[in-house]
Amino acid sequence: MPLRPWICRPCLLRISRPSTRRQARFQTTASTPDSIPSALLERARNIAVEHKQLTEKLANGFDTRAAKKAGELSRIVDALREWESASESVSELTSLVHEPATDPELLELASEDLGETTKQLANASQTLVTSLVPVHPFAHLPCLVEIRPGAGGSEAAIFAGDLLRMYQAFCNRKNLPVTLLKYENINGGQEAGVPMSEAILEIESDNAYGMFRCESGVHRVQRVPATETKGRTHTSAASVHVLPSLQDHSSEMNLEDPESDYYIDPKEVRLEVMRASGAGGQHVNKTESAVRLTHTPTNTVVAMQDARSQQQNKERAWVLLRSRIAQTRREKREEEMVALRRSVVGVAKMGRGDKVRTYNWNQQRVTDHRSGTTVHGLDDVMQGGPTLEKIMEGVRGWLMEKDVAALIAEEADAKK
Amino acid sequence: MPRIPTSLLRSAGAIDALLPALLGPNRDLAAARNELRWLREHAGKVATTRSAKGATWSKGAILADLVRRRARGTPLQYLLGTEHFGDLEILVRPGVLIPRQETAASVTHLVRLMRNALQLPSELRVLDLCTGTGCIPLLFEREFRSTHHQVQLQLLGVDISVKAMKLACRNLKRMRRKEHGGVGNGVTGFLVADVLIDPFEDQNQPQPSLKFALNLVNKPFWDILISNPPYISPSGYWKTTSRSVRGYEPKLALVPPPSPEKNDTEQADAFYSRLLATARDVEAKIVLFEVADLGQALRIAKQARRFDIFDGIEIWRDQPNETDHEILDDFPVVGQGNGRSVFCWRGAGSAWLRKGLGEHDDATDAKRLFKSSYTDRSW
Repeated sequence: MPLRPWICRPCLLRISRPSTRRQARFQTTASTPDSIPSALLERARNIAVEHKQLTEKLANGFDTRAAKKAGELSRIVDALREWESASESVSELTSLVHEPATDPELLELASEDLGETTKQLANASQTLVTSLVPVHPFAHLPCLVEIRPGAGGSEAAIFAGDLLRMYQAFCNRKNLPVTLLKYENINGGQEAGVPMSEAILEIESDNAYGMFRCESGVHRVQRVPATETKGRTHTSAASVHVLPSLQDHSSEMNLEDPESDYYIDPKEVRLEVMRASGAGGQHVNKTESAVRLTHTPTNTVVAMQDARSQQQNKERAWVLLRSRIAQTRREKREEEMVALRRSVVGVAKMGRGDKVRTYNWNQQRVTDHRSGTTVHGLDDVMQGGPTLEKIMEGVRGWLMEKDVAALIAEEADAKK
Repeated sequence: MPRIPTSLLRSAGAIDALLPALLGPNRDLAAARNELRWLREHAGKVATTRSAKGATWSKGAILADLVRRRARGTPLQYLLGTEHFGDLEILVRPGVLIPRQETAASVTHLVRLMRNALQLPSELRVLDLCTGTGCIPLLFEREFRSTHHQVQLQLLGVDISVKAMKLACRNLKRMRRKEHGGVGNGVTGFLVADVLIDPFEDQNQPQPSLKFALNLVNKPFWDILISNPPYISPSGYWKTTSRSVRGYEPKLALVPPPSPEKNDTEQADAFYSRLLATARDVEAKIVLFEVADLGQALRIAKQARRFDIFDGIEIWRDQPNETDHEILDDFPVVGQGNGRSVFCWRGAGSAWLRKGLGEHDDATDAKRLFKSSYTDRSW
C-alpha cells in the first residue's frame, strides 16, 4: 500500500476550490460602454455639424469667441470620428466573417482582427460619451475647502480637525500647494490643541476644484470619542464645503463681466474697517486691521482679521466673498436644472446635502454613500494616502455616470 | 478710561497666560489675541535668527519680554519693526512717526482719482513734505505705477529729522530690493530741510530752508504736493492722543513747534499757511494735506480759498470714496469717518482729475499765481 500522508477534510476541500474567489458584481450601475444610445449619437453628430460651420466661419475671419468654442467642440468631433471609423471597421469585419464565400485564410485574419477592433470600438464609445458630458465650468480652477464641525459637540470639532489634517496630508502627498487661509478654534483663537470651529484651506493648483468638488457634503464619523468615558460609540458629523477659488491670475473668468457668476457690483458691497473711536490719525496708533465686507443684496458677511496688513485682509475677504456668492448663484441655477431632470433621473444634488461619507473607526472602514465604495484602510485614509484617492476617484466616476444618465434623459426629453 | 472687567481678564487668562497683559493697551479680547499671535510669530523669527548667531535667549523669554514692553504701552509697530501701509511693508523705528492707515487711504484715493487722467505730462513730479518714514512717496509710486506705466515719476520726500531720512532711505532700498530690480522709470529721493523757516531770514538753523534745498537740487517746480505735517494742538496733545502715542512717538512729528504769540488753534494750524505758500511757489497743480478733524479741515479749506489760486477745494474723511458726498460750509465733504484731509487742485490738475475739463487757461493761471504771491505777506 503506497504511503500517503493523511490530509484533513477541510484542507482537501480547499484544494478543490480555486485559491482566489472571483469577484462577481451581480448588480451594477455601471453604464455599458460598447453601445451608445442613439440620442447621444445624434447629439454628437449635431455638434460635429456645428463645429464644421464654426471652422468655415473661422477660415473667413478670426473671432475669439468662435475659436474658443471650436476648440471646445473639437474634442467631441475627434471622438466621434474615431468612433465612426471603429464602428465602420467592426461592421465590415462582421459582414466578412458571416459571409459564407469568404476565403478561409481571410476568415481567420478577419476574426482575429474583429476582437481587437471591438475593443477599440468600446474604447472609442467610452471616450465619446465622456467627451459629451459637459466639463464643469470651474473644474480647472483652484479651490477653497471650508471645514466646519456639525452635530456632535466637541467630538465633531475634533473630527473636523482630523479631516483638515487629512486634506492637508493628501495635498502634501500629491504635491498640491496648499495654504491655511483661516483657522479658528472654539475659543475664537488660532492656537492648535483646542477643538476647531472653522478652517478654510486654499488649494492653489489648477484643476483642484474638479478634483475636490466631490468632497463637499456631510462627513459622518462613528467612533468612541476621546472625550467619552464609558466607551460608547458616538455618531457625529462635520461639513465640508468646496468652493472654486477665483484669483487674479485666472484671467479667463472675467470679473468685470456682469454675466459671470463672479461678478459683484462694488456698489453692493459695504466695506467696514474697524476704526478706533475718537480722533484717529496721528492721535492714535492702532494695530487693528480687521476688515468686514457685507454684500447687501444677499446679506453675505465676510470678516477677516488674521493679517497685519489691512490690504491683505481686504484681498482675502474679497476672494472669499466672491467664491461664496458665485457658489450660491451656481447652486441656485443647478437646483433649477435638477428640478428639470429629476422627473427622469433621481440625481442627488451635491453640496450641502445629505451625508456623503462615513468614517467608521470600529470597523476601520470608510464608505462613500454616493458611489457605494467601501475601503478598509481607515488609517491610510486619515493620513491622506492612496486609499483616500481611491475613494475620491470612485466618487468622480459615479458623478460621471450620473451626468451621462442625465444627459441621455435630457436628450430623450428634447426629442419628445 | 474704564477699568477692564475682571471677568474679561479671567477669560483672557484662561486662553493664554500672556493675554491679560495685552488687554491693557488693546481693551478688547479679539484685538489682544491678534497682537499676541503677531508677537509670537515675531518672537519665533527673532529666536531662530538669534540662535543662528549663537545667542541663548529662548523664544518664550523673548515673547515674555515683548509682551511686557507692549503692556507698558510701547507701540506694537516699534516692537515688530514694521508697519503695513497700503500694500507696502514699511520699516519703523523709535523716533520716527508710525505711518497711519488713514494716510494710506487718502493717498490710495488720490491715485485712484488720477486713474483716468487726461493730458498727463511725460514726467510727473511729486513732493511730500514732512515725510517721516517715506511711506507716502513710496506708496504713491507703487500705486501710480500699476495704472500708468508710461509716465515718468519724480518723487521727493522732505523732513527735518535726519533720523527719519536715514530710515526713509532704508525703506526705499528695501522696496527696490523687493521689486527685483524692476524699476523702469522714476526717481525717488529724500532731502533734509526745514519747511517752516523763512528763506529770506538769516540762516542760523542746522537745517536749510525748503526753498534753499529745492534750489540746491535744482528742482524748484512740482506737480503734486502732499503733506502729513504735525497738526495736533498743544492742549490736544494732552487730551486727545493715546498714551502709547504720547509716551513713545516723537512729539516733533505730532505738535508744531511752540510759538508764544499764537493761541492753541493757531499753533495747531502753524504748518498749513507755510505749506499753502509752498504749494504756490512750487506751482503745485494738486495739493493734499492731512488734518486732525473736520474743524481744522474747514479752517484750512477757508485759508486755501483766501489764497485764491485753486480751482477746487474738497475735504476728505477717513475713508474717501465716490459715493458718500455732502456739502459743509460750501466745501464738498467726501467719504466716511473723521475729517482727515484737505484736497485742492488748480490749472492742469483739473484735467488730470477730470474735474471741470478744458476750463483752464495758462495765462490767467499765471496771473493768478503772481497776484497771490504779490499780495501775500505771510513770510
